Amino acid sequence: MAEPVALNLLLWLPALGMALLVAAPRAGDRAVRYFTFGVMLAQLALAAWLYGRFDGSVPGLQFATRIPWIADWGVHYHVALDGLNLLLVVLTAFLGPLVVAGAWTAVREHVRLFHVMVFFIQFAMLGTFVAQDLFLFYVFWEAMLIPMFLIIGIWGGERRIYATLKFVLYTAFGSILMLAAVIYLVWSLSRSTGIASFDFTDLYRHRLPLEVQTWLLAAFALSFAIKVPMVPLHTWLPDAHVEAPTAGSVILAGVLLKMGTYGFMKLGFPLFPDATRLMTPALMTLAVVGIVYGACLALVQTDIKKIIAYSSISHLGYVMLGLLSLDLVGVQGALVQMVSHGLVAGGLFTMVGMIYERCHTRELAAYGGLAKLLPVYSVFFMILTLASIGLPGTSGFTGEFMVLLGAFNAAWPRWLAGEALPIALAVVAVTGVVLGALYMLWLAQRMLFGAVRVPHGPVTDLGVRERVIMIAFVVAILGLGLFPRGPLAKTELAAREYQERVLATRLDEGTP
Amino acid sequence: MNWPLILQSMLPEHLLLAGMLAILGLEIWSGRSRDGHALAVVAVAAAGIAALWLHATGFSAAPFAGHYSVDPYTTLPKAVLLGLALPVLLISRDDFAETPYYTLVLASLYGACLVVSSDSFLTLFLGLEILSLPVYALVVLGFLRPQSAEAALKYLVLGGAATATLLMGMSFLYGWNGSLELAVFGDAVLAGEPIALAGAALIIAALFLKAAVVPLHAWAPDAYEGASAPVTAYMATVVKAGVVFAALRVIGTTTLTPPVLGLVALLPLVSMAWGNLAAIRQTSFRRMIAYSSIAHAGYLFFAFLGAGAGRWEAIVFYVVAYGLMNLLAFAALPRGADDERQDRLDALKGLHRRRPAAAAMLAIAMLSLAGLPPLPGFVAKFLVFRNVVEAGHTFYAVAGLVASYLGLYFYLRVIQYLYMGEPEPSAARGQPRRLAFAASALCLAPAVLLTFFPGWLLDRL
Repeated sequence: MAEPVALNLLLWLPALGMALLVAAPRAGDRAVRYFTFGVMLAQLALAAWLYGRFDGSVPGLQFATRIPWIADWGVHYHVALDGLNLLLVVLTAFLGPLVVAGAWTAVREHVRLFHVMVFFIQFAMLGTFVAQDLFLFYVFWEAMLIPMFLIIGIWGGERRIYATLKFVLYTAFGSILMLAAVIYLVWSLSRSTGIASFDFTDLYRHRLPLEVQTWLLAAFALSFAIKVPMVPLHTWLPDAHVEAPTAGSVILAGVLLKMGTYGFMKLGFPLFPDATRLMTPALMTLAVVGIVYGACLALVQTDIKKIIAYSSISHLGYVMLGLLSLDLVGVQGALVQMVSHGLVAGGLFTMVGMIYERCHTRELAAYGGLAKLLPVYSVFFMILTLASIGLPGTSGFTGEFMVLLGAFNAAWPRWLAGEALPIALAVVAVTGVVLGALYMLWLAQRMLFGAVRVPHGPVTDLGVRERVIMIAFVVAILGLGLFPRGPLAKTELAAREYQERVLATRLDEGTP
Repeated sequence: MNWPLILQSMLPEHLLLAGMLAILGLEIWSGRSRDGHALAVVAVAAAGIAALWLHATGFSAAPFAGHYSVDPYTTLPKAVLLGLALPVLLISRDDFAETPYYTLVLASLYGACLVVSSDSFLTLFLGLEILSLPVYALVVLGFLRPQSAEAALKYLVLGGAATATLLMGMSFLYGWNGSLELAVFGDAVLAGEPIALAGAALIIAALFLKAAVVPLHAWAPDAYEGASAPVTAYMATVVKAGVVFAALRVIGTTTLTPPVLGLVALLPLVSMAWGNLAAIRQTSFRRMIAYSSIAHAGYLFFAFLGAGAGRWEAIVFYVVAYGLMNLLAFAALPRGADDERQDRLDALKGLHRRRPAAAAMLAIAMLSLAGLPPLPGFVAKFLVFRNVVEAGHTFYAVAGLVASYLGLYFYLRVIQYLYMGEPEPSAARGQPRRLAFAASALCLAPAVLLTFFPGWLLDRL
């Protein structure tokens, strides 16, 4: 019985931390930082313990808490872990302390407000992942906008106001249509079955005509696709990433983007399976276009942060490809790829932040030969680069390889049956790996090797704090790359469940 | 006449009247005009508690049968209106030390209480006039700048037009049916005869005018900007809520059918879109709030698209959430001697550096008005649009939600000023005031409750 308590504690620790920070207006900056870091560590410990206790051989939800919240409407405070959100919760908890530690010296203004906002977004992100009730999910989903708006807008770069407004207005537009879809979905459930419920499990059983499914999927998909982001809805991402402070970029790339793919996996596809199968060719094409287009754009950027931002578009395309392949290996690969991208992109953004703190520019052309000046920095950067490319032994390899394998697994029988599109998409997706190697190695080469070029004079190598942060990232990346069996075993049943849900037919031929 | 019954059922009104008389008496006998504020606060609080008490005991009676009745559906709106008036009074003392202000506010509240209890068009008309007449005077009472007089006159003329329209509609219905009962409205909508429909449409138009729904909104931005901050707060919350409760009284649980349905769907929809878009261009805080309240009037009237039973719940919850947050914004707003400069949105730049608590409260108010979760404004919006979908008007619901999205930008812009702007060196600091602090606490505490337990209020509706 301790596990549900621990899960709730995990979720509410950031909220508690936020309340305490608000209640202590006179706390010094140092105290605020240590306090936040401590709470985040406690949260990580809880997440790790829950991960250990999670039983991969049991299907469905575990450690659930279900309390009526708005009884009239059938809204419950329903939180639980399952194989789909388990890894993402651990990822979020893992990045928490690293974000705080990474911002130790970078954030000097409004320190207390900054940590309040970091707590706030941590709370909202964890809530989105563990919520098993559509209303609760939506509340957390939308609430994420508020802290991110402030984090980019207050501590961001020069064009921060433009970037943060663009980010919020983009994402809110998707969410408002999703809200309409949520209202309609729940209403149609209560009309056809008489149950007023927002519970995912009830909604998974709901039957709808194909036309309605398609409209609702379109509304959900718009919201999720903006968050992922999928081409052509990605234009907010480069601006937001470039202008955000390091902590904001890490949170954005590390967790926030996964909200979109998680939404597809948990809600969009399983809720409207028939419409999903109808839309699969279109969505899959968009995913592959994203892989290649993101990689091509990354090739031509001159701003280091932009290269990594566009690489995110490319890497999340793989996640979408894996989810849409509906092959078990592909779906599991998508899960691993989500975590892997969170770690790799989070780590890379942290490293860009470290060099930016020293040299105050993100122009790639301003740097060169850092390997000679900053050997420790360069080693870590190289490891992350290789992980981003997907070198065997790193988490990137596990994710991308499984996704591509799944895509081919699913495409092969279709090819034999005379359908060429899936296999063509899978082949094109492979070229994304090559392009990925190209732009990341080019980035590393221009930055780390060649003639020594450093703006603003001499620089110091990573300090102890920075080394510890990077070691944490590298250990996690190698751990997931070398020993993927543990996480895969814990999530296998959930992936199967997802597969079954999306393959099922839930058409309602009766009342429109 | 059953005097004890009248005494009990009209207790909130009597307490307001007593407060009014006490304030006037005090001024005459002691010549001191300074105690008006305390007396008004006590009277409104007592009246509010009386309304809550009547509500809690489930009291219902019809002391003036056919004209005035009291039941839980009237006592709760009374408690809400009086409760919203309390923070308004608390933030008033710095602007208004003289007694006329407090007498006028109490008189206007008396009218609001009468409106929500009315059963006939006669009482409704009386109530609406008592509600709005003192407000014309209140707008000009501050007399901060020449525009105040112009705004008050504009408000008076258009308010008079609304009165005339209402009377016209009432007389149409009377001519059609020979009755002044409010229930005639429902019959008129269902009957579909031209004269009946014309009467119903005129009455709705009059209510739209009083609530500032596009295209009958032109008075609001001027009046809101010209009045002093507490009066603007009063108009945006209590007066608007009073008018919407009047509409609830008139329309009741009647299922609207075309063509009246079209009127109640399209004008509020335009109101949401236009209010939200026009607010973007404003440079004055009160003018921006005026456009925001035009948009919110749209949401409130949208609730009438829903089925009968859900309307009550949606409107009461919306009024509470919207009223509290609007008042929170006014309570947290820094004030200074130079009203015109303080009212500029630029004056809010960098407020976080100077007064973080005030900035945080303003930000919370703006986010809630924008309808972002987890704040109560979201649940209110959800409730309204859920009812619209459940009534089968999916298209209107989607259009309304998209229109509400348009409002996000200007609310966020306020937050941008608060947190991301550099303070102007000349900006007046604006001392935190104890009474304003009490007012914001009064708004914030229920808002926090509604954020975490929206069901608490919903269960009681």
